[in-house]
Amino acid sequence: MPATPADGTATHCPYCALQCAQRLTSSVPPGRTAALGPAQPHVAVAGRDFPTNRGGLCQKGWTSAEVLRAPDRLTTPLVRDAKGVLAPATWDEALDLVAGKLTRIRTEDGPDAVAVFGGGGLTNEKAYQLGKFARVALGTANVDYNGRFCMSSAAAAANRSLGIDRGLPFPLTDLAGADAVLLLGSNVAETMPPSVAHLSGARSRGGLVVVDPRRSATAELAGEGAGMHLQPVPGTDLVVLLALLHVLLAEGLADTAYLARRTEGLEEVRRRCALWWPERAEQVCGVPGEQLRAAARLLAASSPVHGGRGAYVLTGRGVEQSRQGTATVSAAINLALVLGLPGRVGSGYGAVTGQGNGQGGREHGQKSDQLPGYRMIDDPDARAHVAAVWGVPPESLPGKGKPAVELLSSLGTEGGPRALLVHGSNLLVSAPNGHRVAERLAALDLLVVCDFVPSETALLADVVLPVTQWAEEEGTTTSLEGRILRRRKAVEPPPGVRSELWVWSQLASRLDAPGTWDTDPSLVFDELARASSGGRADYGGVSHSRLDRDDESAAVWWPCPPAEAGEPEHPGTPRLFLECFPTASGRARMVAVDHVGPSDDLRPDAPLYLVTGRVLQHYQSGAQTRRVRDLAAAVPVPLAELHPLLAARLGVVDGQPVCLTTARGSLTAPARVSEGIRPDTVFVPFHWGGPDSVNRLTSDATDPVSGMPEFKVCAVDVTAGLPVDPTAVPAREVHALATGAAS
Amino acid sequence: MTRLVVVGNGMVGSRFVEDLLAADSAQRFDVTVVGAEACEPYNRVLLSEVVAAKHDLAALTLPTPTSERLTVLRGTHAVRLDRDDRVVEIDDGRHLRYDRLVLATGSDARVPPLPGLRTGAGLTSGVHALRTIDDAREIVAATLNARHAVVLGAGVLGMEAACGLARRGVTVTVVHPAPALMERQLDEEASRVVEAAMAGLGIDQRVGRGAVEALTRHGRLAGLVLDDGTVLPADLLVLATGTVPSTALAASSGLAVDRGVVVGSDLACAADPRVAAIGDCAQPPDGASGLVAQGWEQSRRLAARLCDAAPAGSPAAPSPAADVVRLKAHGLDVVTMGVCGVQRPGDPTQRTLRLSDPAVGRHVEVVVSGDRLVGATCVGAGSVAAELVTAYTRRIPVPLDPAHLLLTALASRPTAAATPADLPADATVCRCNGVSRGAIAACIQDGAGTVEEVAAATRATTGCGGCAEDVCTLLDVLRRSPVNARPGTAPAASPTSDLLREDDVTKGKHMIHSAETAAS
Repeated sequence: MPATPADGTATHCPYCALQCAQRLTSSVPPGRTAALGPAQPHVAVAGRDFPTNRGGLCQKGWTSAEVLRAPDRLTTPLVRDAKGVLAPATWDEALDLVAGKLTRIRTEDGPDAVAVFGGGGLTNEKAYQLGKFARVALGTANVDYNGRFCMSSAAAAANRSLGIDRGLPFPLTDLAGADAVLLLGSNVAETMPPSVAHLSGARSRGGLVVVDPRRSATAELAGEGAGMHLQPVPGTDLVVLLALLHVLLAEGLADTAYLARRTEGLEEVRRRCALWWPERAEQVCGVPGEQLRAAARLLAASSPVHGGRGAYVLTGRGVEQSRQGTATVSAAINLALVLGLPGRVGSGYGAVTGQGNGQGGREHGQKSDQLPGYRMIDDPDARAHVAAVWGVPPESLPGKGKPAVELLSSLGTEGGPRALLVHGSNLLVSAPNGHRVAERLAALDLLVVCDFVPSETALLADVVLPVTQWAEEEGTTTSLEGRILRRRKAVEPPPGVRSELWVWSQLASRLDAPGTWDTDPSLVFDELARASSGGRADYGGVSHSRLDRDDESAAVWWPCPPAEAGEPEHPGTPRLFLECFPTASGRARMVAVDHVGPSDDLRPDAPLYLVTGRVLQHYQSGAQTRRVRDLAAAVPVPLAELHPLLAARLGVVDGQPVCLTTARGSLTAPARVSEGIRPDTVFVPFHWGGPDSVNRLTSDATDPVSGMPEFKVCAVDVTAGLPVDPTAVPAREVHALATGAAS
Repeated sequence: MTRLVVVGNGMVGSRFVEDLLAADSAQRFDVTVVGAEACEPYNRVLLSEVVAAKHDLAALTLPTPTSERLTVLRGTHAVRLDRDDRVVEIDDGRHLRYDRLVLATGSDARVPPLPGLRTGAGLTSGVHALRTIDDAREIVAATLNARHAVVLGAGVLGMEAACGLARRGVTVTVVHPAPALMERQLDEEASRVVEAAMAGLGIDQRVGRGAVEALTRHGRLAGLVLDDGTVLPADLLVLATGTVPSTALAASSGLAVDRGVVVGSDLACAADPRVAAIGDCAQPPDGASGLVAQGWEQSRRLAARLCDAAPAGSPAAPSPAADVVRLKAHGLDVVTMGVCGVQRPGDPTQRTLRLSDPAVGRHVEVVVSGDRLVGATCVGAGSVAAELVTAYTRRIPVPLDPAHLLLTALASRPTAAATPADLPADATVCRCNGVSRGAIAACIQDGAGTVEEVAAATRATTGCGGCAEDVCTLLDVLRRSPVNARPGTAPAASPTSDLLREDDVTKGKHMIHSAETAAS
């Protein structure tokens, strides 16, 4: 093991999918319990050289150790008492209570009456064990996770077109050599700042093209000759892509040899795009037709077929979190294929994964339709393989469950789940249409939340179980480029805190579950490797000990199948598709898609668009970053970003409150007046809970293919001053409801 | 099964079939399409782009739905409609029975009644309409030898055709009898700006002049006589003198036909609710715009109505925004919407604001009613036009002072960025770590002399590294200042207090302190 306490612990950041390499130095070495009170342990963070972050960290990363000593860190199980108050309990009391209630509910209403909700921040080991726990110990089909809100559209589109879903099917560092990078709905300058260095090559050659309704920090990078910023009407990114495709096909700029050799389905795509000439697209997406033409020509000139150094098409949540998110990603892939990019070194299509383990988290079975190794749960061979690893009969495995939004909507309804176990997710803040989520959670008979801080969701629970975080545990994550990284323990967790692996083994035993329930992450990983072996995301040739070898190649890119006897180990796969695509025909499948538009479009009483997103200082629901002093001080509350012309019409100046109202809820936030946003659009970041939660306003309409909710666009009315929100339910009442229902 | 016959397989007819099959979740309809053209449906709107050599002919083909419930008869004419028997007779003599009939027969190019344009059943050699893919092919072929081309009629199509021909290097003259080019869209002042732009493209124009006769020589076009007696030599004449809805089938069966097939707001014929008409052949109560957007909107609406249980005669509100006109002409930037053009009703509730800048070819006019944009005319307006279209079609409230609509709201930031030394103390230099200029200045004052030392104290440059240059500049500027020679001197008393202000030091100290704390 290269990381000894003397020179610190080599690990990776707890936050986003860039997984910046860090070195942690603890004043209390792991293995010795710090009995020095809640202020301990002291952990120093430093950036560590690694190709993706080159030693850099953003403010979140630098301050990440502060969450280890959050003043309100959960250190004992909590059980809601007769008075409705969450009161300390022993682990045995809490686990007995949970197991007892789960057993009763399963007996009364069957295994699907218990649901499980996971998270893209869980390690691979935990994500894997969670899916297994749901299928084997609980026997429920109803398991899904917050990655449904994150990567599901990109995953669905990549799977159907490219045959596999690895966010970036190439090393991130490959971007540096390209002439052009098209970034659609991705604000990497805020969400993963150290990655921006990899855009400098394209910027220096004028080739960074950013598509965003706001002049985001990332769009700023395209200024001053570094590229272009296309600023479409929210919800119309697909039109931008269809118009780019139209120009390439109409002007004879496509890579016809590549299309003939490596793809299928071009003809339908060509016809569909014939409907989106730039002047028509301009009328729908608001981007001038000449800009669309210029962007298409820039991409074409950068492509290998026209002698360019290469081009990349990258998508992010901005275009994916839509009811046409899968279609939009399909169009982005089509664009990359028409340019001849995927499977060529120095070019490609990729999705910029968001959550820390958003990649690994979507591969190992916490998704409602998947088994480990990216196997599909309705595939008989996949069921047989995984059931054999788990030591259970294949027919005992449940089938497809409900995707996240549908699952949450069904909680506590007639025939819906009566109990929910939540792991690594603050869904009350991160799920759309928050008031409805609160209602559904309140209707449960049992809500169990595992977390390390009292998140908004944990505060609604009947039972809260305190679990380890990040630097207190061993494990692996898989970064945005599909590289398997070791997360290492730097400090002992506070007394009273347990790993979720231990929690599941305890519950499995109380539920008399079959199979083995290891609590050692390296053993769980070995089992994951066997379960994934032969699947699309094949970890079969990987182990903790291999990842711990002290050389640069230790962190492998999947797929990495096990070595045959006598053969050298598989080196991993930094670049996919170089030979063929893992589809039935070996060709990439172009899928013809068309624009439908937002489900909640403008109307006279809501004549503006609301878009949501992130700020640099906060991560996801903010449960961690709002507990870091510098981050909370830098951005303490959400600001509503709006254009000066809109501000003037409303009669507000910078810093004054504006009230936003949608069909689902209201929010009051200080105005941040900015010329960088469209005058028809208001932007609010979503990292806050309670009355500051913009997800109380967002739409829970979903993409028919991926189940992705339409976070990124809805119709909003904006007024000056204070709101009256008739749908607001004070937090106290929600607690009371939850308690009443549970008692 | 409901037997549905669609006559017409153009942009609207084919779209309607697609919409209907998508909306027909109950799979109630058995659909037969009768299309006169032998080819698959194509994008007629882009024919002028083909003339302009900007578009690949093969990339015009439109999606063609496939379904077991769909039969498409191409190259087939509907010759008779018998509404009593509910039968459409086609040119091979077959009878197609229907329960529902949709007419999407489109329109034909209007050929003005000028002597010399026609020979026998067809057009004189050298005279072309621009309506079909064959017309486009023929015009493209004719440009190879044409020396003088005349485009008769300067509506949208005529303008696009003229610019396309000019782009191919043909000498072009536009003849237009109205006082303004595109007079439905442009008033005279706007037209003058467009005329100047066209002249810049080398296109000659005769605005306000009609044609009286086409001259021929040996059966071929030789010239065009104008109403002032001028004779324009011409060996290629493109007729862009409007269209005539194709209503013969409807008229022969006794359906009400005015300019087009008269339909109600539900798109059905009053005399026979089994028959509906959409697209260019239809005449709805609010009038036909001749734009494909209107036909597509009708298509969606009719498909929804036929598939819904909703009672006929309760139509959805017609889309108010299907009247945006956007010229696709190389070198001309013209967009209009709503209230515009020569003839517009005077409405005292409307405000009209205008930016007239003919010297650079710019003319922007907006018409506002209450807080909504109800019309606009944009010539040479660039991205302003795209913004106005969005505000108009989505009915977004206009700014307090609608004069703001005349310029772009999305202007890019001035590129002459201030040097970091000129920034205020609270301005962020390192975004990734939220480090202000003041914090960096303070740590330089405290002795940091290199980027690494600044990074160690403040974390500036340790994220994406993009601010390293700015930090170097600050080091250069501040290290040279005397304050560094006297650490601890009250900055307010320092001669460089314009660079190092009180709040620099306070904030800087805080930043360093918090950096240490967080890293501890």
